[in-house]
Amino acid sequence: MSTVAAVVVTYNRKDKLTKVLDHVLAQTRRPEWVVIVDNASTDGTDEVLKEYEQIDGVVVVRLKDNTGGAGGFATGMNKSYELGADFIWIMDDDCYANSDALEELLNGHAKAEEAMGMQLPYACSLVKWVDGNICEMNNPGTTWDWGKLIAKGQENVLVTHCSFVSVLFPRWALTKFGLPLTEYFIWFDDQEYTLRITKAGPGVQVLRSVVVHDLGQNRGVNFGDVNASNLWKFEYGARNESSFRLHHENPVSWLKFLARLVQGLRHGNVPWSIRAKLFRKVVEGIAFNPKPKMPRSVL
Amino acid sequence: MTDKPRNQKPTAVFEVLDDSGVGLSDGDALLDGRERRLVEGAANFYALAGPGQTFRLTVLRGPAGTMPALTDEDRTTIEWEDDREVVGSLVVRSLVHTTSDHSPADGLVDIAVDVGGAPQSVTAYHQLTGVLGKARKAVRFLAPVQFDALRQFRTDMVERKGRDIPRKAPVRLTRGAEATPHGDQPAILFGLHWLELGGAERWAVDTIRLAKEAGFTPIVVTDRDSAQEWITRPELDGALVVPLTLPLDPKQESAFLNGLLSMYDVRGIHLHHCTWLYDKLPWIKSIRPDIPVVDSLHVLEWRTGGFVDISVRLSNMIDRHHVISPQLRDYLVGKHGLPAEKVVFATLAGLTTGGIAVGGSDEAESNPFTVSFVGRFTQQKRPYLFLQLAAELKKSSPREVRFIVHGHGELAAEVNSLRARLGDAVELRGADRPVSDTFRDSDVLVISSDNEGLTLTSFEATAAGVPVVSADVGSQSSLIADDLLCPRHPYSFVQAAAARIRTMMTSPDQRKTWLDEQAAKAEAFAKLPRAEDWTRDLYQGWLK
Repeated sequence: MSTVAAVVVTYNRKDKLTKVLDHVLAQTRRPEWVVIVDNASTDGTDEVLKEYEQIDGVVVVRLKDNTGGAGGFATGMNKSYELGADFIWIMDDDCYANSDALEELLNGHAKAEEAMGMQLPYACSLVKWVDGNICEMNNPGTTWDWGKLIAKGQENVLVTHCSFVSVLFPRWALTKFGLPLTEYFIWFDDQEYTLRITKAGPGVQVLRSVVVHDLGQNRGVNFGDVNASNLWKFEYGARNESSFRLHHENPVSWLKFLARLVQGLRHGNVPWSIRAKLFRKVVEGIAFNPKPKMPRSVL
Repeated sequence: MTDKPRNQKPTAVFEVLDDSGVGLSDGDALLDGRERRLVEGAANFYALAGPGQTFRLTVLRGPAGTMPALTDEDRTTIEWEDDREVVGSLVVRSLVHTTSDHSPADGLVDIAVDVGGAPQSVTAYHQLTGVLGKARKAVRFLAPVQFDALRQFRTDMVERKGRDIPRKAPVRLTRGAEATPHGDQPAILFGLHWLELGGAERWAVDTIRLAKEAGFTPIVVTDRDSAQEWITRPELDGALVVPLTLPLDPKQESAFLNGLLSMYDVRGIHLHHCTWLYDKLPWIKSIRPDIPVVDSLHVLEWRTGGFVDISVRLSNMIDRHHVISPQLRDYLVGKHGLPAEKVVFATLAGLTTGGIAVGGSDEAESNPFTVSFVGRFTQQKRPYLFLQLAAELKKSSPREVRFIVHGHGELAAEVNSLRARLGDAVELRGADRPVSDTFRDSDVLVISSDNEGLTLTSFEATAAGVPVVSADVGSQSSLIADDLLCPRHPYSFVQAAAARIRTMMTSPDQRKTWLDEQAAKAEAFAKLPRAEDWTRDLYQGWLK
């Protein structure tokens, strides 16, 4: 039977973390390992983790520095790979998985592969917000023939990219394409990674696998929302997407991104000082082109 | 019920009609045991490829360092070079009967077999010719570390591109049209690179032993020019050995294999890095699709993939790929999409650790701190890099330090000259000292290799309680503490390895922490299925 490692990356969110872990540990298909990556939390998360560490199969990786979501997921996925997991299921520390979320992901992925006659590089869940509506930030992009599997009676949608909120990767995807780009730190790391591995074939969103993303507000990513307090995040987003569109797609795609950015900032009436900082990051992205690290085969 | 044969002595494929100097029948011999086995191997080949024929083998010996030439298409000439002395003459008649006879069964066929000279190993760099080759050789030996740095950059560039491996189309037959009945002596056909010291060869001779234990006659074919120093090993007693030297006369290739398949009941094929036999698999599968084929893979070669990529190319002809490391499993299944059920990961853990006592010196016992290298002096193992590390540590060590370099091989002259620059701090040890002595005397073992599968030395060091600092290559991460894995590039390797060893010198606690991590990894690894058990079961299955 295939083995699964669940990966949860956490940073200063100990209250939600326990709920996340309890949901993971209560899965109908319990993962063989639960790898928790603590991104150098300072809020007492470690005390919580010490308790969970007593549970069989729970592995805690304590990082000395906060490496962002990108670094945390790369670390957790690498650790899971080293442990020998056949599948790696990753999520944030504010994601509550329905009890059958993993089971449905595995089933949906297997059925989709059978119907497509090919290996599929990932399967993601349907992400809802706390009120039961779709979580706007975690909507995957779909392929042109997204309904192909629905036409075959499955509740699965073909996708081109998704967020790192409940997504399952088969081991071979990491062997072939490596790990997420740690250097991205935060934002666009999930899109870059899932777009990268989609070169092997589409991903699949398994609609029967449901998780709840406990965000403060249900809103997608929009450059018009940038302000002085969240600027740091948008700066990473601008640099990372600029780098990706230019180095992994093409100059036209980069220009389209630039147009979208300009338009978003204009619609949001973003102050010019903030706009200037973001454009500086876009320029930084031109020279920024990190390469993926490959995981180590240990067991 | 298994059909276990009554005896293991191979069916003779030839009879000796006359023997002068060779010593295959009684009488005075001018040949030593290794040379005699080479001649016997040549006679095996001709007898199998020429059913019923009579051969006169004129046995030549070349100067030291020349390689045997036993079966290549030039052997039918009756002239030879001035420096070859004639040391034997042998007339044999083939006892093989097949319908494949490309030449008349009567008459005498003359063959000049060259057993080469006394073994003398040189690197591929020593053999470079032409102006560019000589320039490359000069740079390699003048500045080995700098040259290595360039090689590593080249490796990075080639590896980044990746390799697409085309697949040989499968054989769709379930039964080949029968031309000849086969013999009744159960046998396993083994394909080896050569019969020389090496990790893959150590495992190969072990499988030959397992085949004999199961009651099979091992048929051992090698395809690489070599002095075949291991041809006299006891594991090969009772085996039919054929050390091929290539190129063969194309007509003889199928005749030879037909001879084998008709003389023996070949129940399986086990490849251990033998290109010639890999290339024959499509044909063998066409005439005998019933014969299962497995291969054992050890190392993924930089830049070319080596035997692993050959195996991927021919995967449609191979029933099971046996790999000794998780890196190779992931490469075959993850990277090249081979079905997981076709790839068997079974380890060589413990293959060579018998007889090694837990020792490993520590601070109290050992002053100075002892840093060791154990391995062949080959380009792959980079002994010159170890000596560069020794120079660095000698300069910057916080306490007295000494070095042991234990091994031998083609880079011996270079090792000697580099060692001379370091004075008495470096002790050289050869085959006359058991490796276990070196482990007992060591505080840390260094593996400076450019590439590896999973070093048997790491298992041995762990058994001896010695921490290992290793280049992060192959599947070394399965056995070595994370902090003790160092970059493959020479300068960064020396820098990182020196820093870790200096830490060990000043902090016995840290040394112990790393050793404990290494032991924990070894323990986890030891729980994985073992190659010996898997192979024993496999061969038992082939008896049925």
